[in-house]
Formats: sequence, structure tokens, C-alpha cells
Amino acid sequence: MRFFAATWLILRKELSIEFRTRELLLSTALFAVLVVVMASISFYVDVTAAEKLAPGVLWIAVTFAGVLAMGRSWNRERDQEVIRGLLAAPIPRASIYLGKATATFAVLSLVEVLLLPLVALFFQLDLLAVGLSVFLMLQLGTLGFVAAGTLFSAMSLRTEARDLMLSVVLFPLVSPSLIAGVVGTRAILSGAPFLEAFDYFEVLIAFFIVFLTLGLWLFEPLMRD
Amino acid sequence: MRTEGLAKTYGSTRALHHVDATFEAGQVTVVEGPNGSGKSTLLALLALLSKPTSGRIRYGTYTAAQIGAPLRAQIGILSHAPMLYPDLTGRENLLFFAGLYGVDSIRVDQILERFAVGAYVDRPMRTWSRGQTQRIALCRALLHTPRVLLLDEPSTGLDSSSIEQLIDAVIEERNRGAICILITHHDAIAGRIADQRICLQRGQVAASVIDRHDMIDQDKEPLQRTPDSR
Repeated sequence: MRFFAATWLILRKELSIEFRTRELLLSTALFAVLVVVMASISFYVDVTAAEKLAPGVLWIAVTFAGVLAMGRSWNRERDQEVIRGLLAAPIPRASIYLGKATATFAVLSLVEVLLLPLVALFFQLDLLAVGLSVFLMLQLGTLGFVAAGTLFSAMSLRTEARDLMLSVVLFPLVSPSLIAGVVGTRAILSGAPFLEAFDYFEVLIAFFIVFLTLGLWLFEPLMRD
Repeated sequence: MRTEGLAKTYGSTRALHHVDATFEAGQVTVVEGPNGSGKSTLLALLALLSKPTSGRIRYGTYTAAQIGAPLRAQIGILSHAPMLYPDLTGRENLLFFAGLYGVDSIRVDQILERFAVGAYVDRPMRTWSRGQTQRIALCRALLHTPRVLLLDEPSTGLDSSSIEQLIDAVIEERNRGAICILITHHDAIAGRIADQRICLQRGQVAASVIDRHDMIDQDKEPLQRTPDSR
């Protein structure tokens, strides 16, 4: 079976399950909203400080919601050993990786659509002029984070210390991308020139390309043993 | 299908060591042995879910290294876990796997009819009984008419009528000419359907393969087993 046909089947299956259970969307969205509300109550001082705090809160909420989503997404494959059924099928195994990563990205994108206005509300940000740029940066950061996270979540299927491995390995690896995302978002919110913010976009694009390539390349050997 | 000097180690643990075995088309081979003897590892290697540390598996004239995905299209696997999504209905699960195997949706209807799956097939599998779930798992394993059928303790938790149905299905597949390899601790099942039996102990073949028909003719014990293999 062709790679993209198999990827589409995996993605469609993921979305069907999600549409039925809303498990990932509800758990991640509630968690992300909670982080934003608690952070705004704890850290909000004034509008100037809020502009500096909001990017961190936004990215922390997305990062932890993402880890939650990826963990739960792979739990579906671990339950009933479905992953063995998928790996036994005559499809390019990397299509499993890409299908699941795309589905997780779709769920997190929905969470971000909800989260961004909420952060603007709680931190009194004016997103009319820069909202699209911030959302684009979040999307690029999420692409790279999901590309890396899906690979490591899949690896964690084969280890007992799943959550520990995900935290210990994934967070240090994605920290450059997260830092670029936070600093870039802060630059956009403070009205920095487009070229300055563009540097951070480049970092996020490079990060995404590197981890997507690694994911597609390493998924099969990692799953085989 | 033949294994040649097949070995598998996990770190310092030797799961399989120099296993030579031949599996003929149209025969059921029962693999027996105590827990931890390497039975499931052998099946994972045969299903191409794992890579041998040394040795090789020949599928006809090919090795697994020569053909990957096309070979997987010829293998059906059934274990005690159904390998199906509990949040999807039985039909949705089968249609999903039919898509992965490039099988027409008409085949899904045919196999549901063959195994007389009732109206519950359109309910989420989370609500199903163990027997109903395993019946659909069997449908999934046979959906693409595999030439190699691997069964890893498929009868665990099944009642006697479900076990009978499972045995009938395996016999049907054997008569169709499939290579059937079954891991079971259920001596009665093994005795009824085994054409040959392989006993593994500590990752090695401990007892030679015996033809069931010879055993019946000579009125012998099916397999000389060591006490700890019981």
C-alpha cells in the first residue's frame, strides 16, 4: 500500500475515534485552560508585565497539553496490543507515525484556537494586529514538537518507565524550539520588526524539518526492535 | 517456511537460541513450552514484528530481509489480545484493517457472514464479551486470506463453544493450504489439531517434531515432555 494512502487511513481512524470519544480534545483543552487561568491569577501584575508573561504561559500550556495528548494517543495503540496489528499490516510503517502525528497536530491546533483568545483575555493582550502571527508561530512550534513527541511517545511503548522517558528525553530535546517559540512570540507581542521575528520562524521550521525527517526515518527500526 | 539457526537476545537475556524448524503448508504446528521458553518471541519473529539477532527465516525461496511489506500481506496473526480498537465498532475495525491490507469491503461482509457475527458488530467493541471480541479478532486475522496463520494463545478466556469455533476455523485454514502455527497451553486443543508439535525450553527446541498421524498410528504419547513443561 502506498505511503500516503496508509497515512490517510491511520489519520481517518484517529479522527473517527476522537470524534466519538473526544478524549484527547477534552482532556488537553481542559488542562491547557486550567494552566492559563491559574497562571493569570498567580502572575498577573499589569499590562506591561502581562505582555512578557503571556508567551511563556501560552507555550507551557501547549507543551504540557501536547505531552498529554501524545501519551493518550499512543495508549490507544497499547491497549489490546493494537500496535502489533498495525505493525503486522503490509503498510510502510512510517505511515503510522505520520498519521498519528497529523492527528495529534489537528487536536492541538483546535486547543490553540481556543487557548489564544483566552490568553488574550486573561492577560489583556491586543491580538488584532499580531494575532495571526502569534498563531502561525504556535502552529510551527507545534509541528516540530509533535514531530519529535510522536516519535518519543512511540518509543515509550517499548519501555516500562514511559512517562519518565518522555519527560527526561523529550523536554531537553525540544527545549531549543520551545525557547525560540517563547522568545519569538514575545518579540511579536512587543511589536518587534518582522525580520527579527522571522529568525524565530526559521528556527521553528528547521526544527520541524529535522524531527519530521528523523521520525520518518527512525520509526520503522525503532518499532521493529 | 523454515527457520535456520534462529536466535534472539534482549540485552543479556537469551530468548531464542539456534532454532531450526520447518513449517509445511496445509499443516498445523503447535508450539509448546513453559512460560518464558521463547514461544511468543518465535511467533513475533515469524510475523516480522521483531528482527532476529542471528539466523534467518525463509518464506519459500525468500528471506524476510528480501521482501518486507509484501510478505506481511501473507501473514495473519491472532493473539489473546484482540488487536482491535474498543472505541470503534467491529465493522469499523474490520473496514480499517481491510483498508490497510488493500482488501475490498465486500470481503468484510463475507467474513462476517462466515463467522455468523450478529448485529452486535455495529456496536462499539468496548461493550462486547470476550468471545464476541475474539471472533472479530479471528475475522481480522483471516480478512486477507493469509498463507501463514500465527495464533498466540488465542483460546485464553474463551468458553467451550468459542474454542470449538476457533478450532474449526484453524482446521478450515489448514485444509485451504495455509501454514498454521499455534501456541497453546491447552493440551486438548493441541492434541486435536496438531500435525506437528514443537516443544521449546529455555529458547531451544527441546523435543523433536512428531507427526500427529504417526502418533495416532503408533498409539504413542503425542510428545515426550519434561515435568516442568506441564
